[in-house]
Amino acid sequence: MKEIKRVAIALGQGFTPGVNAIIMGTAITAHRLGWQVVGIRDGFEGLLFPERYPNNGLIDFGPENISKLNPLESDAMGTASMVDPFNIRTINELEMVEEVDMSDVLLGNLKKEGIDAVIAIMMGRGLSILHKLNLKGMKSVCIPRSVENDMASTAVSFGFNSALSFTIEMLDRAMGAAKSAQKIGVIEVLGAKSGWLALQSATAVLADAVVLPEFPCDVKKLAEHLKSKINRERPYGLVVVAEGASFTNLPGATTEKNDMLKKALSPLADDDESSQFVINRSGKAAMVLSHALQQLMTEDIFPLVLGPWTRGGSATAVDRQLGLGYGSAAIRAIQTGQFSTMVSFMPPDMQFVPLIEALNKVRTVNDESYFIDIARSLGINIGGTSV
Amino acid sequence: MSNQDYLNIKGRVLNIQRYCGEDGPGTRTTVFLKGCSLRCKWCANPESIKLKYELDYNRKECKGAAACGLCLKSPFPEGAFYVVDGEDDKVHANWDLADITEELAGLCPTGAIGIFGKEMTARDVLTEVLKDESMYRNTGGGVTISGGECLLQPDFTAAILRGAQESGIHTAIETAGNVPWPYMEKVLQYVDLMLHDNKQMNPERHKKWMGVDNKRLLENFKKAYETFPNKEFITRTPTIPGINADEEHIRAVLEFIKPYKNVVDYELLPYHRYGTGKYEFLGKVYELKDYDPPTPELLAHLRGIIDEAFGRELKNG
Repeated sequence: MKEIKRVAIALGQGFTPGVNAIIMGTAITAHRLGWQVVGIRDGFEGLLFPERYPNNGLIDFGPENISKLNPLESDAMGTASMVDPFNIRTINELEMVEEVDMSDVLLGNLKKEGIDAVIAIMMGRGLSILHKLNLKGMKSVCIPRSVENDMASTAVSFGFNSALSFTIEMLDRAMGAAKSAQKIGVIEVLGAKSGWLALQSATAVLADAVVLPEFPCDVKKLAEHLKSKINRERPYGLVVVAEGASFTNLPGATTEKNDMLKKALSPLADDDESSQFVINRSGKAAMVLSHALQQLMTEDIFPLVLGPWTRGGSATAVDRQLGLGYGSAAIRAIQTGQFSTMVSFMPPDMQFVPLIEALNKVRTVNDESYFIDIARSLGINIGGTSV
Repeated sequence: MSNQDYLNIKGRVLNIQRYCGEDGPGTRTTVFLKGCSLRCKWCANPESIKLKYELDYNRKECKGAAACGLCLKSPFPEGAFYVVDGEDDKVHANWDLADITEELAGLCPTGAIGIFGKEMTARDVLTEVLKDESMYRNTGGGVTISGGECLLQPDFTAAILRGAQESGIHTAIETAGNVPWPYMEKVLQYVDLMLHDNKQMNPERHKKWMGVDNKRLLENFKKAYETFPNKEFITRTPTIPGINADEEHIRAVLEFIKPYKNVVDYELLPYHRYGTGKYEFLGKVYELKDYDPPTPELLAHLRGIIDEAFGRELKNG
């Protein structure tokens, strides 16, 4: 194996609190091996368009600079506006927009800069792009980050604990508001495909119910459950709903048909496979559910959306520790030649799993999940099902 | 060379749709071509945007991994197709990794895996179009070439329209106009009606929402009106609150078309989100997911301004 001398860190699309901790874990461990560490600005863009940046799109993460970083923040590298060097949008010589494959430019500039391996802090689609770059010869190790904790092959993604803590804090406040106003709060939290954030935060604040993407919610049954919980002594309630929730028995819901106009405007538009009413817009789940419940209940109901707020802020102590651990482990993977892998935190161990095994998977809540048992034991209703 | 050799030209077709009622007069056949020169963030047909062929995967047609599972193995690319845990073992697709050929797609026994975009000759397209010749006569309809951007394939589009005109069929195109003028000029000689967009009159906002400014396309439209005074033109705006559903935009478009009598109408197409689901399906992000369609009241108000400008009695009270 070629001797490692210089490692680059790339940060994928989207904001996660506390990424500096990963950078510090990576750099401090690498420095002890005598390696240099640099960061690629704005995802891969620093090396795709080095002429647009100072220092050819790289940030020096030498010991002096690392000592100045705040491990609670995410401000050291910038955020990618896109993650896909295979489809870079450009305007061609005929002034027409098109996407071009610039993966060879990226690989060429990695080589030119003497970068032997890349540590990619990625989630979602970024894993597929990383896999394609690996197939073209890039040596990489992936660190999973997801505030929704929806990445497979790891128990906890970086960023989840910070998002969870903030969500719980906000739900506590919402509960206080509901109590004071004697209303039922329907609070939407992040979770497009995976309900971990909703489930664990609802459990922590002892919500009356939680609605998850994985379990379609029977709204009529949910209303019955809430009616059974609300009384003169406790004239308020709290429902936590994930943004990717789906509903059945939704009063007033209409199904849009594939009419002539729709087909003409969008020839391949098609109905959803299921008859469920699926919400796919941020902020809409709380509104749809609160309106539906209001039609079935006499108590006042108010919607509130935490959504994007959850991504901001600083890292928690757990994420700070996890970030340092992920960064350090990624260097160990490189040191031992375990490329095309993802660092996986399976307490108490850090492991390295082939990236291809983490691709195409979403870590979802299922009926056997221990957190479901906990919620049910505490009397928290899961999407209108009987407790 | 025989008279109809021009029909041998090949092009990339996304879809041919019969019995359409929105793309010109009467009942029509609309031919959607692949490839576009803009990147409108609300595009309802994201599968039409790229000129290159793309995976078309219809999960409903999949028999499931246990019953079939062919696409989970070589020669299909690793990770291109996959199953998720649970009772439903129908296969999912990963568009980033599923860079497959038509030949490979043909290995799928159910037809669930296909390719968006098909190479056809203008003759093939015309044969499809001519199937409804009598319907066009009965309804005053015809053929419309749409996209993507049909003017990205000017020779192919011109050949189909020429063939249609020679068969006595009314011809129309739908275009956003962002092509070199010779492309538009070449096609327009075979066009009876050009439906063209005016999505945003402010060049900077046009660049933000469409990817390029509107300088060239406005020049093209003016040249088209002036070079082809006997053709009919209808300008249209996909109307989106927060982007262009306002009086300022409507009045700017009306001012732009005012000198030209061959611009016979200005239509507003209310924004819809029918294409939203397809973005995820194509591994793309739909950036306008939090935008709402215009209210009926707003549309009626804006259409009232247009009716007034065209000297029509108000359609919408």
